[in-house]
Amino acid sequence: MSIVLDQISKRFGSHSVVQRVSLEIASGELFVLLGGSGSGKSTLLRIIAGLLSPNEGRVAIGGVDVTQLPPQKRDVGFVFQNYAVFRHMSVGENIEFGLRVRGVARAQCIERRDELLDLVGLTGLAHRRPHQLSGGQLQRVALARALAYRPTVLLLDEPFGALDLQVRTQLRRSLRSIQDELGITTVLVTHDQEEAFELGDRVGVLYRGGLVEVGDPMSLYHRPHTDHVASFIGGGNVLVGRKVGPLIQLGNVQIPMPQQAKVHQEGAPVRVLFRPEDVTLSDAPPRDAVQLGQGVIVESTFAGSVSRVRVEVEGLRGARSLAPYPTYGQKAPHVEVTFPSAAQMPHLQESRFLSLNRYHVLDPHGLSVLSLVGRHAEVDAALRVGAVVARASHGTLYTFKEAMRGDSERVRKELRLGAEQILPAAQVETIVRDGEVVESFVDEAQRGLYDLAVLGREGDGAFEPQVLRSLSIRLLRMVGIPVVLAHPTTTKIGRMLICTAAGEPGKGDVLFGARLARHFRAHVTVIHVQRFGATPLDVSRAKKHLESAAQSLAAMGIEHEVMVKTGDVAMALRDTVARGKYDLVLFGASGSASRRALLFLEDLIRGANTSVAVIPMMG
Amino acid sequence: MRQAVTDTMDPMWVRACLIGLATLFLAVLLFVPLAGVFLFAFSAGADVFLRAVSNAETLHAAWLTFLAVAVCIPLNVCFGVAAAWAITRFEFRGKALLVTLIEVPLAVSPVVAGLMVMLVYGHQGLLGPILAEYDVKVVFSLPSILIATTFVTFPLIARELIPLMRLQGGHEEAAALTLGASPWRMFFMVTLPKIRWGLLYGIILCAARAMGEFGAVSVVSGHIRGRTNTLPLHVEILYNEYQFAAAFAVASLLALSALVWLTLKSVLELRTQ
Repeated sequence: MSIVLDQISKRFGSHSVVQRVSLEIASGELFVLLGGSGSGKSTLLRIIAGLLSPNEGRVAIGGVDVTQLPPQKRDVGFVFQNYAVFRHMSVGENIEFGLRVRGVARAQCIERRDELLDLVGLTGLAHRRPHQLSGGQLQRVALARALAYRPTVLLLDEPFGALDLQVRTQLRRSLRSIQDELGITTVLVTHDQEEAFELGDRVGVLYRGGLVEVGDPMSLYHRPHTDHVASFIGGGNVLVGRKVGPLIQLGNVQIPMPQQAKVHQEGAPVRVLFRPEDVTLSDAPPRDAVQLGQGVIVESTFAGSVSRVRVEVEGLRGARSLAPYPTYGQKAPHVEVTFPSAAQMPHLQESRFLSLNRYHVLDPHGLSVLSLVGRHAEVDAALRVGAVVARASHGTLYTFKEAMRGDSERVRKELRLGAEQILPAAQVETIVRDGEVVESFVDEAQRGLYDLAVLGREGDGAFEPQVLRSLSIRLLRMVGIPVVLAHPTTTKIGRMLICTAAGEPGKGDVLFGARLARHFRAHVTVIHVQRFGATPLDVSRAKKHLESAAQSLAAMGIEHEVMVKTGDVAMALRDTVARGKYDLVLFGASGSASRRALLFLEDLIRGANTSVAVIPMMG
Repeated sequence: MRQAVTDTMDPMWVRACLIGLATLFLAVLLFVPLAGVFLFAFSAGADVFLRAVSNAETLHAAWLTFLAVAVCIPLNVCFGVAAAWAITRFEFRGKALLVTLIEVPLAVSPVVAGLMVMLVYGHQGLLGPILAEYDVKVVFSLPSILIATTFVTFPLIARELIPLMRLQGGHEEAAALTLGASPWRMFFMVTLPKIRWGLLYGIILCAARAMGEFGAVSVVSGHIRGRTNTLPLHVEILYNEYQFAAAFAVASLLALSALVWLTLKSVLELRTQ
């Protein structure tokens, strides 16, 4: 029978374990829930069985809503990791348990018991006591017991986790063949991806209580959508480059953007996945293959059937490596390569050419927001506004805070609690550093992971204005990412003002503003203030710029208006900001002029309850 | 000089000294007095012993003691299982407090426990006027003996079960539920068999303690001969009246029953190991 989960959430106290999980499992399917420890996979399985009840959401089995039913009325079979075989009963009594509580006649019980003992390969062991059996046999007993009364669905919670490798492989095969034979809808929970691939018709990957991706094993492995799945499953190489025309720029290397990749905006980050077995090492640059250039072998391991080497690829310097996770002090990204161990293994420090037989581009994701959190996480403006932006764009909030060594666990918890009021836990990461906060924040921002940085411009426990200013300048100049100065009253972004007055009218601010506005479905006002004594050339250039701004906003389906004023720039803008009730004011600032721009800006927004975004402009 | 065989093995003379000391200690404090009880019991001849243990007052005291044990065990079984279940299976506010409160009867002196019963049920006590109105007599009669005995012994079973059930966990119970058992069925078919030895052990401790209870019962019973005297109280009265042989004869009954309980307890311990 089918299983339908609809928006299931579960909390233990204030700790959220499962978040809004929706899933349909077809009748007869073997579905695997795959996740690391603490991902909420066992909790979800217990919710299906009725051993836990969800805080929100519904469970249906075979089209019947069973959310309110206790476990004994759900007619499910459950197999536990630690077997949970009744120690005081014989094997036979264990298997008959479900039949006896259903009032089945003695003779039938025995008949069915023997049938099941045959099925799980324990023929003739009905009178053994549990302590006389091995772990593998105990788990077979538990499986037989769970199947005896012909339940509608079979649920297995890490059933092979406590067994050694050989027994595990055997049991896996038995389970697969039993499931094929009975055609019973089965959900299996595991942290072992090999097990998931081998058994699952489909696999759902859980991460921090959220269902990140669902798919058949093949497509999850070769064509995942998210970097979590790409790196969690099967040790892949994930590099982040940028889209440049029809190509992906990875450091100094360019590779073509595959046809089937989702549309990326020009200049947007592109995450490229290639599996270690899809990289070829050769002595000469190969023809007709996508090349990564030359690299130096820095590590090599023999791992049985395959050999694994790591190659440092100079040409990829500048591209960020998500996986393998960069080691401290490495100069250029490392690429992991595997090949059959019978092949000649290259020596350390040797140089080889790398080419890709196959690669895959992950879906462009929402914004990665880096928030610098001040003293009080629970009321911090940067944390709240960062979370609001991450939520609207389905992106990730990275909360950053300084803490003394030893205090970091408490601070992480505090950051999580603060962010999870707004965002699902799967979209929150915490970064805690000790040491000088401005320096370490700039270092973090320079990793190139982030689309924007958020600083709290006012509010309880926020940073001093001059600290914020010097930090903003460094972020704009050195890192080149937009900086949002968050105001504590900003809880949504419904109205946005893009000021194209400062310096040369650019397009970076309009494009970034449009990206934000689309996520929020916000109304955008583009304002340009014509200085007194502007030359006709200035006027026509500004006019052209505003026209194209309006065009690109319209093309993205954003509600907008264009405003042109004449007079003193500062006064006109201050007047507009004061009257317009904007949630966010966007500003372009070129790197060299960023100090002047920030001072001007501070003056402009003094007293206004609005957040501000400063967009770094080229030149 | 001989070297110790391993790092953890002390030299011979240290071991000999320690064992000797322990034996001496036990002899002075336990073996000699215990033997003394039985010797004194028969010092005036077997017929004195028989008369002492078979007279009406002794028989009534024995009956009363048996009654106290028979009432307090089922009550404490119910309470102990329920408390252990609540403490090991659920998370709730005040759980640590409950665990501590369960220990109270072991921590306070039995005399204080007796006084507490007086405070609540005595003529001047909290419920005194109400009880008097309905002509219910609690103190200086059977109910107060039962209450005091139950109070003093109620931690014993819960304390046995809590660590045991914590160790066993709830997986088998969860399995029983998914297999279709109702909660009652789960309890009788899975939980009870799992904890039966621990429970039995707790019952024995409880019985031994209930039989020997003196302090609390002494305060609440009123020492009325042939009516509210339990065996330990009867021993004290006989002793105070200089009927030494009779006092020791009755005392030897109590000592004998204690030995029986201890033997049962040891057998159980061997069995559960």
